[in-house]
Amino acid sequence: MPIHDQGYQRYKGERFQTGAGWQVIAKAGIRNVLVQRKYLGLMLMAWGPFIVRSVQAYAAANVPQASMLALKPETFRSFLETQAAFVFFFTVFVGAGLIAADRRANALQLYLSKPLSRWEYVAGKMAVLFVLLLAVTFLPAILLLFVQVGFAGNFSFVRANLYLIPAITLYSLAQVVLASMTMLALSSLSKSSRFVAVMYAGLIFFTSALFQAVRGITTKSSFAWLSPGDSLDVLGDAIFRLPLRYDLPVWGAALVVIGLIVGSAVVLERRVRAVEIVS
Amino acid sequence: MTTTPPRPAALSTTAAARRVFEVSFGEMLWSRRTIFMALVVGGPVLLAIIFRVVEAFGAPALRVNGARVAGGSVFGVMIWLLYVRFIVPVLGLFYGTSLMADEVEDKTITYLFSRPIPRGAVLLGKYLAYLACTGLVVLPSVMLTYFLTVPFAQVPGTFRSLVLDLAILAAGLAVYGAVFAFVGARLKRPLVGGLIFAFGWEPVVLALPGYLRQFTVARHLQALVPHAMPSDSALSLIQGLFRDVPSVPTALAWLTVLLVAFLWLAMRTVSRREYVLEQ
Repeated sequence: MPIHDQGYQRYKGERFQTGAGWQVIAKAGIRNVLVQRKYLGLMLMAWGPFIVRSVQAYAAANVPQASMLALKPETFRSFLETQAAFVFFFTVFVGAGLIAADRRANALQLYLSKPLSRWEYVAGKMAVLFVLLLAVTFLPAILLLFVQVGFAGNFSFVRANLYLIPAITLYSLAQVVLASMTMLALSSLSKSSRFVAVMYAGLIFFTSALFQAVRGITTKSSFAWLSPGDSLDVLGDAIFRLPLRYDLPVWGAALVVIGLIVGSAVVLERRVRAVEIVS
Repeated sequence: MTTTPPRPAALSTTAAARRVFEVSFGEMLWSRRTIFMALVVGGPVLLAIIFRVVEAFGAPALRVNGARVAGGSVFGVMIWLLYVRFIVPVLGLFYGTSLMADEVEDKTITYLFSRPIPRGAVLLGKYLAYLACTGLVVLPSVMLTYFLTVPFAQVPGTFRSLVLDLAILAAGLAVYGAVFAFVGARLKRPLVGGLIFAFGWEPVVLALPGYLRQFTVARHLQALVPHAMPSDSALSLIQGLFRDVPSVPTALAWLTVLLVAFLWLAMRTVSRREYVLEQ
């Protein structure tokens, strides 16, 4: 009986171009989320405010007595503020296990033994959160603008408030990138997704409570930089050309948000490695 | 003729819980989780140190309308905003949901359940270990915060209030821990339900008029706090508007009922539920 050589064999499968590996991780991750009913339920709930605002726009356009309900530029800001709760829950539920689960199952080494760079791995994982979070922030907000145009039957609102399109885009991106990067960084720090979820909740709520305590003691709201969530709110006010809610300069708020994103990138750079050195 | 040795008497629930407590306490106290807990309770201490340093230099940051901020008020704000509203629910959530979920996740629950002890005693012992562990970290941090913020001359007059604060926080840890121990024993993903309860249900329901507030721990716990409730946000203002403070005996009775009921439910759930470990 002949014994065939089982040594090295050339790969005969399809070769993806370099740098496209993240798409595989992203697609698999998104598919994994969308097949679960609980996430679909959460997504439906997240679109609830959009339906409410659409009804409001319809009533304002078609019922003369309800004209005071007409959508204003502030409505879009407050709409995105409402969506922040869903951003939090999606980030916690979907994001906590993104890297932590791989670390727990020692899958990181397997991933990185493929023709996939560390940044492609991170980009793939981030894309999962990014797409889902944009689906509850940017997508409904921009659709609401179209709905307003549809019900009003003219472009006068959009023409008068043209800045709303870049404002919605920019603020949604700030919300989504901050949440995704922070969660991924935390997820890379632990093997337990529960611990990661609590750390994220702690980061959001504890910093906010700390700011409120300092504000309560000093009666000064300039300490909003202590809380990334409140700093993001200040940034949102500036983007939507509204009066700032706290005495924190816009550059200060931007610095906090950018600092947290850069800090998260540094953590990811240090934690996502193919070889873990155990001392 | 051989005689079978007499079978040792099965341990009572109390004795078994004590054994589980002895094992779990050391594990819990010297785990990486304690670092997280120390970071969380270190926040108020750090804030108190900053307060002390700033006050020592007579900085204007701690003067409201020209008057110095009293140390007692600062301590009251910290108890409200940091301990009662954040640290106690978060630690209860984190540890309470982990009591059984950790064993299921690590697939070690089989070893515990194969011991000749009542299953409920496993949860009871772990719950007592949680209480001791969190109490040992949280309560000293409150003491430190108190001595850093309240001037020495005011200590005799306010010491009773400190003892009361410590008792309230201990009660909060006990009740939240029991509630989340039940959630952890009952649900497959307990953190999701726990986060919704602590940061969704409780703050929102407290701002609503009617009887729904009875179904929160916060209402009964906050009724015992001797310090004035700070109005730090719009939600707090609304909560203050609809706040009907129950009497101390009523609040204590509710807390006792919640503690006993949820602990019993958690033990019953652990005794009856079949935990299926993921392969």
